[in-house]
Amino acid sequence: MPWHVDEPLLEAYQQGRLDPSRVMAVDAHLQACPACRSAVPADAEWLDRSWEAVLDLIRTPAPGPVERAAERAGLPGHRLRLLAATPALRWSWLAATVAVLTFGVVAAYAGDARTSLTWFLVAAPLLPVLAVATAYGPPFDPMHEITSMTPSAGPALVLWRATAVVGVSMALGLVAAALLPGPGWYAAAWLLPAFLLSVGTLALATVLPLPVAAGLLATGWVIVAGGVSIAGEADLPVVFGPAAQSGYLLAAALAAGVLTRRRRRLDPGESR
Amino acid sequence: MRGKRTRPEEAATARSSDTELLRAVAAGQVEALRMLHGRHAPWLRARLARRCADPDVVDAAVQDTFLALWKDAHRYRDTGRDPAAWIWTIAVRRLISALRGPGHRWLGAATTPGDERVSPSPEELVLLRVEHGDLGDALNRLPPELRAVIQATALDGLTVREAARLLGVPEGTAKTRLMRARARLRELLA
Repeated sequence: MPWHVDEPLLEAYQQGRLDPSRVMAVDAHLQACPACRSAVPADAEWLDRSWEAVLDLIRTPAPGPVERAAERAGLPGHRLRLLAATPALRWSWLAATVAVLTFGVVAAYAGDARTSLTWFLVAAPLLPVLAVATAYGPPFDPMHEITSMTPSAGPALVLWRATAVVGVSMALGLVAAALLPGPGWYAAAWLLPAFLLSVGTLALATVLPLPVAAGLLATGWVIVAGGVSIAGEADLPVVFGPAAQSGYLLAAALAAGVLTRRRRRLDPGESR
Repeated sequence: MRGKRTRPEEAATARSSDTELLRAVAAGQVEALRMLHGRHAPWLRARLARRCADPDVVDAAVQDTFLALWKDAHRYRDTGRDPAAWIWTIAVRRLISALRGPGHRWLGAATTPGDERVSPSPEELVLLRVEHGDLGDALNRLPPELRAVIQATALDGLTVREAARLLGVPEGTAKTRLMRARARLRELLA
C-alpha cells in the first residue's frame, strides 16, 4: 500500500468531514488493509452491546419446517408458536382425535347401519364444541394463570385456539366419516350442525362463560337431535334433512355475525 | 446443532488469520465469531455509517452481518483475497435490507457469499491510488448522483440492481448513470 489511513484522516472520515473522493479512498483502503482496519477505534461498550445482540441472534432457535411453511402461506408465525406451545391444547387435540376415530370404528362395526349412522351424526357435532370448550380457561389449561397475565390472553387467543381445534377435529371427523357404511353424503351431514354448534358456542360465550355456553348448546343438541332421531322412522332423521341443513347454515351465519359484533365481550370463563 | 467436535489445534486464537477464524466459525465455534466481531465490527460500523445516517439501522446491520457469518461461514471460499471484502459485501447488503424494512428481508437472504468477484475491479485498483494523482479531483467534480452509483458498484461490490435499490431509483436509471459516470471520469482524466 502506498499510504495508510492516519489518525486525523480517520477522524475526519468518521465525522463525515472528508471530500467524497477521499471517503471512497478510505473505504477502499480499509477493505484492503488489516492494519488500518484495526486502527479504527472500537467503543468497548458499543462492541459489548453489539456482541450480546449477536449472541442473542445466534441462540434464537430457527423456526421449524412447519412454521416456515405456514409463514410462507401467510399465517402469522408467532400465533402458530403460541398454539404449538400449549400442552393443554395438544391434549384436547389428542382427546378429540381418539374420540372421533373411536366413533368411526364403533359406527362402522356395531349394530345395524341406520342406528350407528344416526348416533354418529348426533355425536360428531359435539366434538368441535368439546374442543372449543376445553381450549381455554382455568379448569383445562394448567398454564392459564400465566397465560392470562400476558397481553395475548383473552378473546383473540380463544378464537385462535378455537379455530385451530375446530379445524383439526373437523378434518379428523371427515376422515372417520368417510370410513362409514352407507351413502357418502350421509357422512357429511354432521358438518353444518358441527359448524353451527362451534360458532354458536363462541357467540353465546359473549354472554355466558365459555364452558357454560358449550354445555348448554351441547345438551340442547343431544336432546333435540337425539330425541327426533329416536322418534323418527325415516332412513335419515329429519334433523339432518335438506331443510334442516339450510336452517343450520342460516343460524351459523347469524351466530358468526353476532360473534363478529360482540367479539370483544367474549368471556373466556376466567374470574374477573 | 453445530456441535462438531473440533480438534484442539483448530481452536481459534487471537493470532489466527481471518480465514482460519471463518473456518472455525463454520465448525461452530462461537469464540471464533466473537474474535471476528471484535476485529471487524468497528470498521464495518464506521464504514456503514458513511452510507446510513441512522445509527440504529447501522447497528442492526452489523449484528445481522455476524448472524449471517455464523450461518454462512461454511460458504466462504478461500480465494487468497482478504476475507474483509467478503464480509463487507455481506454487511452492505444487510444494510440495504435493513433500510428496506423487515418486509424485504429476501434481499439480504439473497446474499450468497461466494459470488464475489475474485479479483478487484480496475475501478477498485484505481481507487486505492486516489490519494495520489488526479482521480480524487475527478471524483469530486463528478455530479453526486453519478458518484453514488460508482461508489455502490465499484466500492461496495453491489450489482447494478442492488445499487438501484440502495439509491431508490429504477434499475435502468442506475445503469445509465453508471455509464455516464464512467464516461465523465474518462473525460475528466483525459
